[in-house]
Amino acid sequence: MPFVRPAIVHSAIMPPAIFAHELTRRFDSFTAVDHINLAVEPGQFFGFLGPNGAGKSTTIKMLTGLLAPSFGSIQILGQDLFSNPVEVKRHIGVVPEGMALFGKLTAREYLVFVGRMYGLDKATAAERAAELLEFMGLANEPRKVIADYSHGMGKKLALAAAVIHGPKVLFLDEPFEGVDAIAAGTLKSMLQGMIARGATIFLTSHVLEIVERLCSHIAIIHRGRIVANGSLDELRAGVQARLTPGVEVDPNARLTLEQIFLNVVGGEAGVTHPEQELTWLS
Amino acid sequence: MAELAPQSRRPAAPWTGRQTRAQFAAIAWLRWRILVNSLRRKGRVGELIGNIVVYLVSASIVVFLVGGAGVAAYYLAGHGHLHRISWMLWGIFILCQLLNIQLAQPSTTFDPTQLIRFPLRVDTYVAIRLFFGLLTPANIVGTLMSLAVAAGIGSAAPALWTYALLTLAVFAATNVLFSRMVFAWVDRWLATRRAREIFTGLIFTFSLGIQWANFTFNPAYSNSHTHHTHGISHQHIHFIITVYRRVRPLLAALPPDLTASSLVAANQAAVASFFAYTLACALFAAAFLTVFALRMRTEFRGESLSDAATGVSRKAVRPAAAKLAHSTSTPAAVAPPTSSSSFGVPSVFVTMLGKELLYVRRHMGILYGLIMPIFLVIIFASKFAARSNSIWIFPTAVAYTLLAICPLSYNSFGFEAEGSQFYFLAPVRMRDILLAKNLFNFLLALVEIIVIFGIISYMTGMPSLQIAAAAMFWAAGTLAISSIFGNRRSISTPKKISSQRMANKQTSKLNAFISMSVLVISAGTAAVLFGICIGFHLRWALVPIFAIFAAIEIGIYIHSLGSLDQFALDHREELFTELCKQS
Repeated sequence: MPFVRPAIVHSAIMPPAIFAHELTRRFDSFTAVDHINLAVEPGQFFGFLGPNGAGKSTTIKMLTGLLAPSFGSIQILGQDLFSNPVEVKRHIGVVPEGMALFGKLTAREYLVFVGRMYGLDKATAAERAAELLEFMGLANEPRKVIADYSHGMGKKLALAAAVIHGPKVLFLDEPFEGVDAIAAGTLKSMLQGMIARGATIFLTSHVLEIVERLCSHIAIIHRGRIVANGSLDELRAGVQARLTPGVEVDPNARLTLEQIFLNVVGGEAGVTHPEQELTWLS
Repeated sequence: MAELAPQSRRPAAPWTGRQTRAQFAAIAWLRWRILVNSLRRKGRVGELIGNIVVYLVSASIVVFLVGGAGVAAYYLAGHGHLHRISWMLWGIFILCQLLNIQLAQPSTTFDPTQLIRFPLRVDTYVAIRLFFGLLTPANIVGTLMSLAVAAGIGSAAPALWTYALLTLAVFAATNVLFSRMVFAWVDRWLATRRAREIFTGLIFTFSLGIQWANFTFNPAYSNSHTHHTHGISHQHIHFIITVYRRVRPLLAALPPDLTASSLVAANQAAVASFFAYTLACALFAAAFLTVFALRMRTEFRGESLSDAATGVSRKAVRPAAAKLAHSTSTPAAVAPPTSSSSFGVPSVFVTMLGKELLYVRRHMGILYGLIMPIFLVIIFASKFAARSNSIWIFPTAVAYTLLAICPLSYNSFGFEAEGSQFYFLAPVRMRDILLAKNLFNFLLALVEIIVIFGIISYMTGMPSLQIAAAAMFWAAGTLAISSIFGNRRSISTPKKISSQRMANKQTSKLNAFISMSVLVISAGTAAVLFGICIGFHLRWALVPIFAIFAAIEIGIYIHSLGSLDQFALDHREELFTELCKQS
């Protein structure tokens, strides 16, 4: 693709917050992630997009140590994930696909537990847990165990758990899925606050409006390969350049992320004009 | 594709019987595929072997039960005791209900209430729900036993063949419909976690009561060596007979007795009475079906149960505040690399122990497993209080306690399910996590053994300190060895445990087999050593021998911890595949 940045350049002074080189994952004969290279600079709000089954979750699992790559290397904040896993994990927070909650604990117990496992002292963990519960709107049912939570409440709790230790790098796999609009607004503000204070966030989401509003840089993965990577403006320029020669497009119109995304993967993913398909639908 | 006809423009055709039959066929196919897919397991030869062994043993038990029912019916009908068939039928009825509670149903992999989203009529939905529950192992066993009773009676008295088949078919249907009705309502009552916990508590209390009754009234457990207990006392017999006489009229109006009465009537050529009794039994079946259908109708209307439905937060979410600044990524906010609790114990151990304690407190199944040995020790100790050879009581009780504790280490992440991912995300070593979990099991065993020691000391006199110390060393060594296997099996063959089902249905059969084998081999070896030392008057040697064994076993255990981190990394995919799957 013309607008994939040709090489990963990272500063000798400040290493990338997230660096993946030739990252590959095969499941038997199927290659879910195929030699991808990523470099996310510190302080970036990085959106990682792709159609269903493109390899997003597999990538995020490898970057967080939940899945072993078949090939390639990963560095987080300049440290190798495989040789220093414990040290790396101290600095990252993750909302994984399955949320990794403990159903038999209450929200407060869970947050204190997570805080303690990240090395916070008891008082700090308890104080932050109380604050996060209040912030997430989960404080009013202290005796309820997590197994009885709705999906959206679980997501909020998972996000609270991911930030309780003040991570420098945050990996979020579909963090807004099932979260109500009010809570989503609160969470977005919190994440932007983290970015302002120097954190790096790696986000996957199918809600392109959210990604467009939050992320400064975006990569699109399709069939296991990175097909676009750069700032939103870079992607926009790349797609615009590709469209302009043959298609009638207003050169002054700003392409939305959805248009960019559909242009990059839409045709290849087999998306066709709806009026030509499924004509038996009313 | 552009050529597809625009069918939706036409008015919808009326729903036909053929479409309803197609729905039934689809459900039957679905049921079949669920069964077939449940038998498929990828890359787990050991588990497959375990399943085959369990299925063979189960099939043998079923053949024994069905054959036994047929033979017993043949004997009773052939010897003129047809009225006593009611005892067998009560047995079949109770067995059917107990098996329904104990055996996991293949359909639990699918929630049939999801079917309401399809264009089904309410009667079709009721029929489908009924059909879904018919093929449970318990119902199959109950029906086969009922038919075996009919076959036994028909063989002993060929003239009763038709009558027996008819009335026992009605009985079997009543039995099945009763269980369907009860379980449909139980599902409704157990929709909330609190209700499930109460129900599980009641089941366990009932189970403990059965154990108590068994030890109290079963002559096999009477202590003939003592002069003050002689099996079932006259008072006990009198009490049982009085209770039986009181409830007899009530029992006579219930399906097992009605079925037996119909057979007696048929034997006496009172055909009208036969049909009257059979019809009465059929009315019970109709009543059960009606109550079942009422429940299903409510379900069909889309009632929403479960705790999550009420889980909407009532408080308004505050706007994004700057208050969380300290916990959201400033370099100083990151926790220090290690932190210790006040006694110098790494905080990861203290935190894990606290979490494990919360899980035990909130899981009735584990609590039951811990209470049961203590309860049985109380019963045993009271029974064998006067025995002179009470030397074995304490070691036996310790071994029995380990029966409940050892299996815990074979599925260390089962209760945490998808939460186990956290251990791979957090800056902790799997070695430390499993060490903490094992340590918790050690502590549980220690508490149990101390309680048991106290009970036995109070009821039969304090066990010899040499014996007690040797038993403790044996327990420590056995737990260590068991944990070596258990830690690896927990990672490579975990089993997700749902709070809505009882734990004993949700452990790997092979793991249960390994756990039991380790315990049996260890206990057998210990018993031989005990026997030799006591037989040759070398009681003094017990403590050093078992201490050496324990030291060696604990040494091997500590050595095994070294490779756990890599083992966990190598097997994390198996772990997540099983534990993160949908319930």
